[in-house]
Amino acid sequence: MRRRRTFPVHLALIAVSAVMLLPFYWVLKTSISGDNIFAYPPSVIPRDPNPFYYVDVWYAIPFARYFLNSVIVSGVTIAANVVLNAMAGYALTQTFRGKSFVLLLFLSCMMIPFQATIIPAYLITGRLGLIDSYLGLALPLFSTIICIFVYKASFDAVPRSLIDAARVDGLSQWTIIWRVMLPLARSATATNVILSFIWSWNNFMWPLIVTRTPEMQTLPLGLARFLSYQEDSTGALYAFCIMVLAPGLLLFLMAQKEFVQGLSAGATKG
Amino acid sequence: MLRRSTRRALLIWAFLAPSLLIFLLYRLLPLIWNVVLSFQAWSPLKPAVFVGLDNYQEMLFDDEVFWQSLWNTVGLIASAPIGIAIALGLALLVDSEIRGREVYRTIIFVSYPLMTVAVAIIWRWMFDERVGLINYVARSLHLADAPIPFLNSFTWALPSVIVANIWQMLGFYMVIILSGLQTIPCNLYEAAGIDGANAFHRFIRITVPLLKPSLFLCFVIGMLNSVTSFDLVYVMTGGGPGRATEILITYIYKLGFNQTRFDYAAAVTVTFFILLLGITFLANRLSGGNAGAVVRD
Amino acid sequence: MSASPRSAALRLLRNRFVLVPLVLLVLIAGWNVFVLTHNHGIVTGRVVDAVGRPVAGATVRLWVFNFTTFVEQASVTTAADGSFRFTDNPSHNIQISAEKPDAGRSERIAVRLYFAAQDRALPQPLRLEKGS
Repeated sequence: MRRRRTFPVHLALIAVSAVMLLPFYWVLKTSISGDNIFAYPPSVIPRDPNPFYYVDVWYAIPFARYFLNSVIVSGVTIAANVVLNAMAGYALTQTFRGKSFVLLLFLSCMMIPFQATIIPAYLITGRLGLIDSYLGLALPLFSTIICIFVYKASFDAVPRSLIDAARVDGLSQWTIIWRVMLPLARSATATNVILSFIWSWNNFMWPLIVTRTPEMQTLPLGLARFLSYQEDSTGALYAFCIMVLAPGLLLFLMAQKEFVQGLSAGATKG
Repeated sequence: MLRRSTRRALLIWAFLAPSLLIFLLYRLLPLIWNVVLSFQAWSPLKPAVFVGLDNYQEMLFDDEVFWQSLWNTVGLIASAPIGIAIALGLALLVDSEIRGREVYRTIIFVSYPLMTVAVAIIWRWMFDERVGLINYVARSLHLADAPIPFLNSFTWALPSVIVANIWQMLGFYMVIILSGLQTIPCNLYEAAGIDGANAFHRFIRITVPLLKPSLFLCFVIGMLNSVTSFDLVYVMTGGGPGRATEILITYIYKLGFNQTRFDYAAAVTVTFFILLLGITFLANRLSGGNAGAVVRD
Repeated sequence: MSASPRSAALRLLRNRFVLVPLVLLVLIAGWNVFVLTHNHGIVTGRVVDAVGRPVAGATVRLWVFNFTTFVEQASVTTAADGSFRFTDNPSHNIQISAEKPDAGRSERIAVRLYFAAQDRALPQPLRLEKGS
């Protein structure tokens, strides 16, 4: 009885999965065979697979440079995020004068989307002399309020008795943070790493605004720029798209559970 | 030297300072600057001049592009429920006791963490007039005789962008609804079954009401995502044939960085921000308050 | 009671976040070694006439892809047994053609390489056809 019921469910889900995967398959297929650019009707199986479009991309586009830029900017962003957000999250677990003011400030900043700030942010970055630099690219995303609250919730969950016991043992504030609270906030750190990675790796608008020279472009920017240089229907462009998607896809497949958890935690704000 | 409480307070503020600085510098200050700028006339080499409501007047009464962008943005927002409805169906399917649900969940979710730029390019190719898959399928199924220039037609450009957006967000909506579904206790269904309710009734009377927070969360996120989907629109159509897919944020970008009209762009930005606040507030109210924020002290 | 260093290292290795980058690094290093040992830019081949006899003294040209078209880069003459050898091909996308004034000329063969200046021996000889 149960077995017969699951067949239509499987069928529906397979159909949906096919629709979700079809665009990837299409781009992958075109990147290794170039058929449907030059031949009509296009075929489902690649007709003459060859990896030479990837070779073309490697020598036509500074992929390694774009990749390096993206890695540096993302790395700096992730590191800064973990440090700054953990610090702020910890501070928010303590009571101090002005705490409600700070909370209000954070909440109101959460309501301001990045897109509402682009022009003055660009002007400020210019005044700081950070246009077209790694720091300028990374700085706006150094800290995010969602992640601060994730850390705060995680630190709040540490049992009070544990902290009191540690304090009775004579540990200083620093040691308590480092040895007791941070190891217990591992999931908050994982969420933070994933969220800041995704936001900085996929960021297109801010690098578009802040970079001036082609050498400082990040991967999304390089991809979009290449589109405007070449006509759309080039095998090399499809290969470039796959190469750009590959790192993100690989990371996602390696850390699926953490990604799903992190992204939904980021959405539900802890 | 210092008293212990002062030292402690200093430590706390020192911990808060870097984050506060970032937010001040990149969120609060720009917003205030935008508001101030919207009341001025300013070209980058000349000093600013206070002009009152001139920018707003131009925006509301003389600027067709603004109204077109606003209309398109509203269109994008209104398309979010379609994606959420599909995701609801998918979540119900995945939630049932079948083998391999993790695999299905991963496959459906995979489009979300990817670069929106890449998603935009992929769908740009899918909808392409000459080499696109959509056209090929339409012609094989004899739904169309000639290739349809989806991204170049005034009627099909925005729906194409909407399709790409839904494709990307589907997995995300599904995951949120799934976690909402898992909070519904099983015995409710059993009790209803004993009372004689069929599957449809169980769905309408139990599932949907208890899923309301998740559904509203999806809607708020979907709305925020649509309104801020610069990447998708810019790369997929660049604003569309004419202004058919121009949304507020791409218009702001063009005003600020192509035309360098920072002051006018600031006025449009302020309107954009107010629109965003308004809709978030409305959604929060409609869902019974506190649908999103979790902070309590 | 503490784990020995060896088992700790093994456990670290089994962690997918260590294993995958490690495997990738090994693959990249291996590929780079292969490239470095095979990138002298040597392209060799043979020229035969319409019936299959080797042709000596034919001019063989190397065309290199340059943004939009192919540009002639070098030319050599075939030896007595019809073989030729180019020694510094810089590109990954080349074409080879051969001709001899009274024996005819061959088609332009496209040769795609896996990396720039890859050493390659052409598997098929270039065939000279008259009157093309």
